[in-house]
This record gives sequence, C-alpha cells and structure tokens, in this order.
Amino acid sequence: MLNIIFFAALVLYFAASVLEFAGVSFKKEKLLKAAWWIFVAGFALHTAYFIARGVKAGRVPLANQFEFSMAFSWGIAALLIMFQKRLHAEWLSVAAMPMAFLVLSYAALKPMEITELMPALKSTWFVFHIGSAMFSYSAFVLAGCAGLRYLLMSRKDKEPDELKLRQMDFMAYRLIALGFLLLTVTILSGAIWAEQAWSSFWTWDPKEVWALITWIIYAVYLHLHLRKNANAKMLAWYVVIAVPVVLFTFAGVNTLMPGLHSYG
Amino acid sequence: MKKVFNFLRSMRFGIILLLLIAACSVVGSVIPQDRGAAWYAQNYTSIHAYLLMLGLDHVFRGWFFITLLVLLCLNLSLCSILRIRTVVKSGEKAEEKIARLPDAVKLDAEGVSLLKEHLQSLHCRETAFGDATVYSKNGIGRYGTFITHLAILLTVIFGAAALYSPTVIDQSCLPGEALTMEDGTQIEVQSFHIENELGDLDFESVLRVALPDGRVSDWRPVSVNHPLSFGHYKIYQQTYGTAGSVTVRNLSTGGADDFTLTESCFLTSDGVNGVWYEALYPGYLRDEDGGFTLITSTSGSYTDPVYQILLATDGEYTPVLAFPGEDLTVGEMEYAFNDPVEYPGLRIKRTPPLVNALLCASFVLMILGLYITFFLQPVLVKTDPEGYIVGGPKPETMRMELGLLLREHERDKEASSC
Repeated sequence: MLNIIFFAALVLYFAASVLEFAGVSFKKEKLLKAAWWIFVAGFALHTAYFIARGVKAGRVPLANQFEFSMAFSWGIAALLIMFQKRLHAEWLSVAAMPMAFLVLSYAALKPMEITELMPALKSTWFVFHIGSAMFSYSAFVLAGCAGLRYLLMSRKDKEPDELKLRQMDFMAYRLIALGFLLLTVTILSGAIWAEQAWSSFWTWDPKEVWALITWIIYAVYLHLHLRKNANAKMLAWYVVIAVPVVLFTFAGVNTLMPGLHSYG
Repeated sequence: MKKVFNFLRSMRFGIILLLLIAACSVVGSVIPQDRGAAWYAQNYTSIHAYLLMLGLDHVFRGWFFITLLVLLCLNLSLCSILRIRTVVKSGEKAEEKIARLPDAVKLDAEGVSLLKEHLQSLHCRETAFGDATVYSKNGIGRYGTFITHLAILLTVIFGAAALYSPTVIDQSCLPGEALTMEDGTQIEVQSFHIENELGDLDFESVLRVALPDGRVSDWRPVSVNHPLSFGHYKIYQQTYGTAGSVTVRNLSTGGADDFTLTESCFLTSDGVNGVWYEALYPGYLRDEDGGFTLITSTSGSYTDPVYQILLATDGEYTPVLAFPGEDLTVGEMEYAFNDPVEYPGLRIKRTPPLVNALLCASFVLMILGLYITFFLQPVLVKTDPEGYIVGGPKPETMRMELGLLLREHERDKEASSC
C-alpha cells in the first residue's frame, strides 16, 4: 500500500510537470490550473507517504539515501507551494515541478525497504541536522529554478517585464538566504553531533568538505548580490550553475567518496 | 599603505579567499588525505612526486591552507571591527535623516493610503515629521552582518582551538579493570555489551571516572553518541572487541586462575605441556561429513563462539576446536573454556576548559546573526502625500514588497475599470 502511494505521487508530479510545460508553452491558463492542482494532489500523497513511512519505521524517515531523496523532493514541493501561496510566484512552477519529480525519481531508484536505525544515527541531533540539510538543499534547488526562469525570460522577451525579473532575482536571493541559514544550521549541528559521536567537531570527511564548499559558494553569491553594480543576469547564471554542486553534495559525495557519512 | 589596508578589509579580498579555500577543499576531497608516501606512489604513479612536493597529501594541514585561513581571519577582523562604527552611526537619527529625503516613487492619494495600511499591518513604528510619516521596524537588523562576521571569526579561532588543543588517547579496557591516565585520573569499566536484551546493537559500557582531586563520577552508561563528560575528560565508545576466557585449574593443588585472552598465548605450568590459544571465532558452520567451517567476522555478539587452540603434549602440538562449557585436561592442568568476554575500545579526550563552550557559543551567535541578517531586515520607509522612499541599510526587500503591492493594486484598478 505504501509503495502505491509513493508511485502515485511520482506519477502525479510527472503529469503536473508535463501539463505545466504545455500550459507555459501554449499559454493556456486552464492547463496551468490543472497542473497546479495535480501537483498539490501529488504533494498530499507525498506527505501521506512521508508520515506513514515515519509511523511504520518509528522514526523520522531521513536515515538513508532513499528516505533523504524522498524528503528532499518533498521539501522542494513544500517550499514551492508555500512560495506560490504567499508570494504568487507561479512562474517558478515550470522549473520546480520537474525538479520535485526528478529528485523523487532518483529516490525510486534506491532500495526502499525500512531499515533499523544504526546506533550512530540514534541521536537528538539527527532530526535537526538532516532536516535542515533537506530544506536547505530544497531552497537552493528552487533558487536555481528561479535563476533558470530569469534566464529564460530575459532571453525570450525582447522587452522583459523589469519588475518581474527583479522579483525573480529577489526570490532567488530570499531562497538562498533561507537555504544558507539552514545549511549553516546543518553544518554547525553536524559539528556538535560529530563531537558527541566521533570526538571531533570537524574531521574533513568528504561530506563535511562538500557541505563547506556549498556554503562558501552561496556565501560568495550573497556577497555578490550586495554589490551596488551587481549584474542580475550573471547572478542568475551563478545560482543555476551552483545547483549541480548542491546535487553533488547531496548524492555524488556518498556515491563517489566513501567516508563517515556513507550510511547507504 | 592605505590601499593595502583597504584591500585587506575589502569584500573582494574576502571573496577571493573564500574561493581559494573552496578550491583547496575540492582538491583535498578528491585526493585521499594522509595515506603515506607509499600509497601515493602506488595509486598516483606518474604524478606522486609532484603531489607530495606540493603537499596535496595533507591539504588541510598545509601551509597554504592555513595561510588562507589566517588571512580570512584578518579580513573578517578588519571588516567586523571597522563595520561596527558605520553600523552604529547609520542607526543614529535614521528617521530624521530619511524624513528630509525627497520621494523616490510618486503616488496618488489612494496609493499612499494603501502603502500606509500595509506598513501599519507590519506593525511598524510611526513617527510624524510635518506632513511626512516615517515607518520603522527591526532596528536590530542593522547589526546582523556584524554579528555574523564576528561569529564566523570566533568560530574559526575557537574551532582551531577545539581541533588542536585536546589530547586524545584510544585504549581498550576489559570489564572490571581500570585505565590510569598520566595525571592520575582513573577510568574504571564495570561492564560492556555489544547487543542489548532485544538483540539490537547498542555497544554500551558502564564506566566511572575518578579524578586526582578525589572527585568520582557515578557509574554511567557510555555508548555511541552518548559520551561521559567528567572534569576535563570526555570518554567515548569508540571500538569493541571480544576476548576468550579460560579458567585454568591445577588438579593436584586445587588452585585456579581466570585468563582473558585478547591475543595468541601459551597457557602452561611447565613450559612444555599446556594449551596454545590461537584465536576465537564468532561462529561456525557444520558440514554434512562433520567438518567445520569457521565464521571469521561478525558485527554483533558471537553467537556460537569457537576457540581455536593447539594442545601441547611433550613437544607435540595437536590442533583442536573448543567450545564454551568444555574442559580439556593436559597433565595436571584442567582448562575450562568459558563464554567470551566483550570489551570496549574507548576514546579518552582531555580538552582545556571553556574551549568547547566558547565554540558552541560562537555557533549560536552565527545562527542568530544570520537570522537577524536575513529575517529581521530593518524597515525604514518615509511616506508623504505625494509618494514614498525606502531607506535603511538593506532597502531591497521592502522596495520589492512595496513595488509588488502597488503593482497588484494597479492591476486590480485596471481590471475594475475594464
């Protein structure tokens, strides 16, 4: 039953992404509306799966690559819905819906069985550390989507709507600010946890190093954004190019660079 | 000189340093660190000499990386210290200053009233200056970046102290025995088990610490993620092992001794006859023809332990497998094989006082600083009957918010007129 809910959410995300793309391409308001509600339905199922898996496992489902990817995709969807609801950022959906779908598809490729939490992960820091990582990655990916939309819009329209472009740039900035704060929480809570578990705040483990690299990349972005003569287009490119670094920190490091964070 | 000073405190220099630190980190994560020259010679055959010459086998301890960190600290110190004066000054009479500025955006009466309504809904403080009203909020927001930069500086300094000042010793200890540290502190292990009653792995020791000044801790459980802190010591559950246990009894005198065996040894009374203990295995599989296949490793407790021994009789050695509960007699000595003993490998860390507390305080300060910077941004808006202007150290958020508000208002107006 749990698996059916998971795959139903995946199918709904896919359908929403296709409809959203068609709606934007053909400028059909009805398609966009349908895409939105299908996406919300997918999110409802995704949330139900998240909760049901947590109840069945008796813990927060963030313990392995499948669970983290599933939660990462949930974070993207949750932030998208929140931003759309509060800031009317409908333009974000065309890039963000496929991202939620792709990350959930990546999760589907991983072993899905519920496993016992290993002793090293049984800590009060578990939820803070991994939960904040999940939301920070989601915020960075959404910021990348905002940057992509900025680039597409500024390229497509000969006279683009300046305020809308500014809104996209600003949205990317706000998302990165949120992600940066959460990534800082991830790194610092991880350091305290590492001291409790491994006796050292910092061990230069590949995951730690790449979290630091990601942090530096976004710290540089935040500083570049502060400059009076900041070039919004260049910054949009920057946030798009930074997304692969986030994805590498999330999945690539665990796959290619085994270390203390290789929990499966 | 002034140019150099300005460069050292500049954002440009800070960004360059951050990017160089990131680049070094990439190198340090791609090339495995601290493996020894032979390993690099084997795995990086053609370039290992350059790699070692450039210190790429220990990037994070290399002079280049440490210099970058020191320069970053310098940059952070200069920009933090010099920033505070500007920040404090910019906050002084900010309302009065903005009240004197001309409007940046012109609005009609409806727009102004909408703007005022919105600013009131944000619970801004209102100050009247003639026909102008200044709305302000989150004065603390102007200190956000100062607090963040200061906290990063403190984190680097205390982080280095926390990484390099403690003394760390890894030591195994059998249950019932004690370890004595250089300063006379005693760490006593009462018990240890790999699995709990339910069969789940939990690697838990029960320990107590006696300090040289006479203070003694209670018996406390220590497991992964739950170290014991007492005095300046912190004791971690690091590794574990399983040792053999043999009781040797002299049949003629009746005297007996218990031995815990962690490595190969010869149990003998005359130096010729006795039992050579070779190894303890966690389990075995029995073949159809009665042969044994020994299981060599397990992550949990030993389910069917087997002792591999050599019986030494008059210079002849016979390989034998013995099981817990079995006795073997060689000459006048009886060897009783007991259930194995599980023992912890402890990591004992002694940290100078306050270092960890100061580091954790700088962590909290950094999160607080970032929260203030991004989520308590100062609001400073002047409105008058003709328009408004947004001021303060970070006006972008409010400019965007008000711009979108007025745009939506314009759209609604257009829609209703259509």
